[in-house]
Amino acid sequence: MLFEIENLYKIYGDDGVKTPALQGVSFKVSEGEFVSIMGPSGSGKSTLMHIMCFLDRPTRGVCKFEGKSMDDFDDDELAKIRNKKMGFVFQSYNLLPKTSVFDNVRLPLIYAGFSREEENKMVEEALKAVGIFERASHLPNQLSGGEQQKTAIARAIVNHPAVIFGDEPTGNLDSKAGQQIMAIFQKLNDEGNTIILVTHERYTAEMAKRIISLKDGKIVSDEPVKDRHYAKDGLIK
Amino acid sequence: MELRDSFKTAIISLKTNKTRSFLTILGIVIGISSVITVMSLGEGAQNLILEQIMALGPTNVYIEPGSLDIQGLAESRESGDRDRGQIAEQVMEGMNVKTLTLKDLEAIEKDPLVEAIAPMVTTVSRVVYQNNNQRATILGTTPAYNQIADVKIVLGSDFTDFDVQSRAKVAVLGNKISKDLFQEDNPIGKTIRIKETNFKVIGVMEEQGGQSFLNFDKYIYVPVTTAQEILLGINYVQSLVAKVVSQDKIDEAMESIRLILRERHNIYNPEGDLSKDDFSVVSGKETAEMMATITNILTALLSSIAAIALVVGGIGIMNIMLVSVAERTKEIGLRKAVGARKKDILYQFLMEAIVLTVIGGIIGILLGMVSSYLLSFIMSRNLGIQWAYFISFRSIILGLSVAMGIGIIFGIYPARKAAELSPIEALRYE
Repeated sequence: MLFEIENLYKIYGDDGVKTPALQGVSFKVSEGEFVSIMGPSGSGKSTLMHIMCFLDRPTRGVCKFEGKSMDDFDDDELAKIRNKKMGFVFQSYNLLPKTSVFDNVRLPLIYAGFSREEENKMVEEALKAVGIFERASHLPNQLSGGEQQKTAIARAIVNHPAVIFGDEPTGNLDSKAGQQIMAIFQKLNDEGNTIILVTHERYTAEMAKRIISLKDGKIVSDEPVKDRHYAKDGLIK
Repeated sequence: MELRDSFKTAIISLKTNKTRSFLTILGIVIGISSVITVMSLGEGAQNLILEQIMALGPTNVYIEPGSLDIQGLAESRESGDRDRGQIAEQVMEGMNVKTLTLKDLEAIEKDPLVEAIAPMVTTVSRVVYQNNNQRATILGTTPAYNQIADVKIVLGSDFTDFDVQSRAKVAVLGNKISKDLFQEDNPIGKTIRIKETNFKVIGVMEEQGGQSFLNFDKYIYVPVTTAQEILLGINYVQSLVAKVVSQDKIDEAMESIRLILRERHNIYNPEGDLSKDDFSVVSGKETAEMMATITNILTALLSSIAAIALVVGGIGIMNIMLVSVAERTKEIGLRKAVGARKKDILYQFLMEAIVLTVIGGIIGILLGMVSSYLLSFIMSRNLGIQWAYFISFRSIILGLSVAMGIGIIFGIYPARKAAELSPIEALRYE
């Protein structure tokens, strides 16, 4: 089991007004799944994802990744786990400016201690997997939004992580580019990668295999997608 | 994170804000270049003085009025326990003391350890020949001076002991001042005016070269008695220079001279406490050491003033690094999310600060080298002295390590601030 989440609480605000973001969330995710976490803004979906990817600590409850809880590690060990086991795709791409596509994708590897040859090979592989290898020497500001997000996906998969997180990855894109990005996620999942996607769009969420719906910090439904959408490159204009 | 990666990141970041980076390092550039220039000039001055003093002859000892405890000075330089103002005080006092006379000279002359002894009375004055008007140093002395300084007369002759006794108004010119006053004319027998008194030129010295900052080629030599009575109106001498028979007898001769003078000046001083004397006897070597101490103090003083620019520059670096950390909060969050540890972020920003200051340091060193070269060139030309351009390896290493040190000192706080950022807060930052 990849994730075991039990009775998870996250309450913001130390004194005065307390804002509960998660109120007793429990579910499990196993290897190879493609899960959408869906909900309106303020439902706690981003908070849940941050706890799952070891960026944030829960107030109460347990979140286990590969059988281990965040409490077992210090910040640097968590950084190492994120570096080796997790990949991240953000809504606003978060690419380093003035840094080539190639070096942006390399970013997680420079903290991992590979040799330069290994790094180059892995970056090349990742760029080819998302179909942006020919843009390797370009700078982020020379790319379209879709290409920037492809770069971000290449960065997320470059270290062959156990799980890839997508935080509204299509949120800044037009529908065509969004489709392309979702097609890549579906392809990655077909190849066996576990994907956790946070979105507020039902259509995008239904491209996953399972949807966990949140509202006011609680799970309102957790079920497999019955009528799954398949994104294809350039399908919708 | 490898050094190469953090270096690359630092360069990218600095290139992103070229103007800002340049303005930021300006303080460091100015500070380092000032320190390099001051140190270079200090070392140049020291070399010049040492060369000068040693050129005067290794067996020379100088007898100065007033007590100047060189021994104590040298010791305090090592232990650093003496108020530095005292040194200057002692030097100033010595200039006004009137205890040495020609009678003292006569007494010392009888000492078998002394091969020759000459008095020195100097004054700076305008010298006029027809319409030509030059500034020169007038040195009142005796014929023995040439024996001690080992200079030959190339034209005419030196003045004699009789000239000294009779207070003759005769002058021997240094080579340069002779050319300045007379150009191609033969100066022998001509009359020059010094302080409203006519002097007959009887000789010209050989060229001694410009290695001395006192530049003896611009000196005019007159009988000591003439200088005392006519030019200065004094009856004492400003100093005496004696040539000791051999180098290994210097200490012995110096002690012997002290005993003679104590007896003549009625100083009871059986312990040989130099501070009780009203005169001081120093060798060329000791004088060199004293001058070295003084130039070192001056260099240190000026360098520390220049170093203020470095502190100001360092604060500028810290300021801009804080701005950089704030601007790149999101980048820091991303780096942490994808696996950067605290120390990776710390090193990255520290590296950036160090790259900034080291670039500033390198530019500062180059600028300092250029400006000290220009200054030494200007001084050599305008003051007529051979001021050697001198940059020591030591000052370059010092400049670089100071620059790096400033990068570390003023970069550590912003870098720590960056390293401590919570990744989740940083990613949310807009």
